[in-house]
Amino acid sequence: MIGRRWYTPWLFLAPSLVLLGVFMWWPVLNTSVLAFTDTHTLRGGGFVGLDNFRTLLQDSFFWNALGNSALFTVLVTPALMVLPLLLAILVSAKLKGMTFFRVVFFSPVVASMVVAALIWGWLLRSDGLLNFVLERLHLINEPVRWLSDPSLVMISVALVTTWKGLGYYMVIYIAGLQNIPEDLYEAAAIDGAGPLRRFWSITVPLIRPTMLLVGTLVTLNAIKVFTEAFVLTGGGPNRASETLVLYIYQRGFSGLELGYSSAMSLVLFLVVLGLTLLSQAATRRRANP
Amino acid sequence: MTRSVTWRRLALSLSMLVLLAACGTGGEPDTDDAEPDVDDTEDVDEDADDPDGEDADDADGEDAIDDEDTELSGEITFTTLQLSPDFDEYLEGVIADFEAEHPEVEVQWTDLPFEGAQERLLADASAGTLADVVNLNPDLAFPLASEGEFVDLDDAGADVRDDYVEGAWDSFRYPGMDGAYGYPWYLSTEVTMYNTALLEEAGLDADDAPETFDELFDTARAVAENTDARGMHPALENRFVIDLVKLGVDITDEDATQATFNTPEAVAHVEELVSLYEDGAVSPDAVTEGHRQEIEAYQAGNIALFPSGPNFLNIIEENAPDIAETTQAAPQIEGPAGVTGMSVMGLMVPESTENPDAAHAFAQYMTNEENQLAFAEETLIFPSIVAALEDPMFTEPDEDGDFAEAISVAAAQLPDAANLRPVVVDDEVNNAIISNVQSAMLGDMTPEDALADAEDEVDAILERRTE
Repeated sequence: MIGRRWYTPWLFLAPSLVLLGVFMWWPVLNTSVLAFTDTHTLRGGGFVGLDNFRTLLQDSFFWNALGNSALFTVLVTPALMVLPLLLAILVSAKLKGMTFFRVVFFSPVVASMVVAALIWGWLLRSDGLLNFVLERLHLINEPVRWLSDPSLVMISVALVTTWKGLGYYMVIYIAGLQNIPEDLYEAAAIDGAGPLRRFWSITVPLIRPTMLLVGTLVTLNAIKVFTEAFVLTGGGPNRASETLVLYIYQRGFSGLELGYSSAMSLVLFLVVLGLTLLSQAATRRRANP
Repeated sequence: MTRSVTWRRLALSLSMLVLLAACGTGGEPDTDDAEPDVDDTEDVDEDADDPDGEDADDADGEDAIDDEDTELSGEITFTTLQLSPDFDEYLEGVIADFEAEHPEVEVQWTDLPFEGAQERLLADASAGTLADVVNLNPDLAFPLASEGEFVDLDDAGADVRDDYVEGAWDSFRYPGMDGAYGYPWYLSTEVTMYNTALLEEAGLDADDAPETFDELFDTARAVAENTDARGMHPALENRFVIDLVKLGVDITDEDATQATFNTPEAVAHVEELVSLYEDGAVSPDAVTEGHRQEIEAYQAGNIALFPSGPNFLNIIEENAPDIAETTQAAPQIEGPAGVTGMSVMGLMVPESTENPDAAHAFAQYMTNEENQLAFAEETLIFPSIVAALEDPMFTEPDEDGDFAEAISVAAAQLPDAANLRPVVVDDEVNNAIISNVQSAMLGDMTPEDALADAEDEVDAILERRTE
């Protein structure tokens, strides 16, 4: 009790609060206000009520971009929930040299997304390595147009994100796996359970909270995808890979329509908020069945 | 070390790429010795017209300097685009010289990386804190200029205007506005670089470079047919609009309120691109690729023709010396409109400056003949001062081989060149246009429909902007 002042906890919180306030809450608040104006970056603007949102409903490019972001999320989320788990199980095996593989699998995380996208841009070309390998394996007869076929570009973008994210989520899974008591596996083995059975009956149920966490993180990041699409295809061909953030960027920074792009950002914010709440509800339900 | 230098060069060139616009050859650029003679004669004529011409010039200069000496003082700020750290020494030298001439003036220089520069400048402009001298290209300056942020130099720079390349001065004129808003600084202009080995392999005369669009496309097809390489890269994002201008197509009406590019010439051009794509003269990936991938493809020997600024020769030489070795440069591809394109960097003085005298003096000093020639010594760019382009450095470059050829070709075409990319074609408008052209190339849309859709989209954008 000695020397305790009411403000002591606030002093400890202050650094984070200031950072969050300046770089998160203030911009969010500001965006929410701008969304109801027709602000132009240089000219300023005035209050226009719900006009931006009405325009947005009619804006086919907005829906196209939202659809692309959603498609991307649907592609990336399952991949990044399952594949890193398998990798984590592999590198958790008590074999010599596994540290090496952990490092290898983690290394893409450290690379910048721009660099990763540039490299994948080369790999995915019609005369690139991927097509070369597929052709040599006689899996395809002619090169797949990963980056120019409108029906494939989002898959290509998702591929890059998945590759780059594997290591990061693998680390989270490794941590999760270490929390599973070893004796459960031993007991199951004594009962005659094979590796698959042990995986389904022990690993999967016990890793589920981690999977939910990973799923949430992946989804939230995926819905905001920008760099991969920007570098790989610039949103083309004909907006087939134009994601929502790409479109917001274009309207906001090229068209200088700060009000309208704020309105779209607000919609994106609400989508992210909704997904967060949904996943929290799911987590809670798991925790207290 | 070498790698980081290469990357910096690449970054620099990429930034220059943004200002790389334009094409079309204004007549046959006389790359040989004939031109300097002609120009020299003109100089003599001018001097003759103006008795005591030299003295008059000097007097002008002295007046200016007198004004400056007596009145210039205070601090001015100066921002450049992506010139640091490569040109620190040069820029600091020029600044130091200027400060030595005007001891009361202090210049604070900041370099902005190209990435994020526009955002930063927009923020500065809306806060009224733009630097006193701002380095921009016509496109980047457009949103600010159209809000009246910059001083009209037709007035403020009237006494030096004639020193600059006319097309460069005019590239800072904006639709619906009177006046020119930038002192032209360094220039670049596209030349047609080509891989002579591939042309020869295709059975073509390597000294007979394509000069028109038809010749360009024919060469591309011949290379694709007879070699393992593709002919060319369309680099739509970078070139499509400029090529339309060269073909005589107006992108918008004069006030930039309505798109006007859906013309038979434009349809024919898109049809040509579609057929190049179908013939395999361009790579299937090229549809969504830009200038960066074009450079890569040329360096890898995957394409034979590379219309671009001579500044890219540096990169090619560093990354692919064997390709640089076999590269020759020819004048820019000419369209029926008979115009030659160039890219322009300029220095603007914002209306918000509190020290306009020093700002104008500094901008004029930075862009004067002597300092621009010194800049051109540093790297493969071209000065915007007419007299500087007549320097032997450009008319009779020392270096042997292809750089020399490219330099003289480029310098010869600059005096008649113009910035062909309409300023209204920013990323958003450009994207609206090429998105639809992409669909046409992939065969998902007819060229007519693609251009009609593109025109509708651009109309919608322009309407929003003029609201």
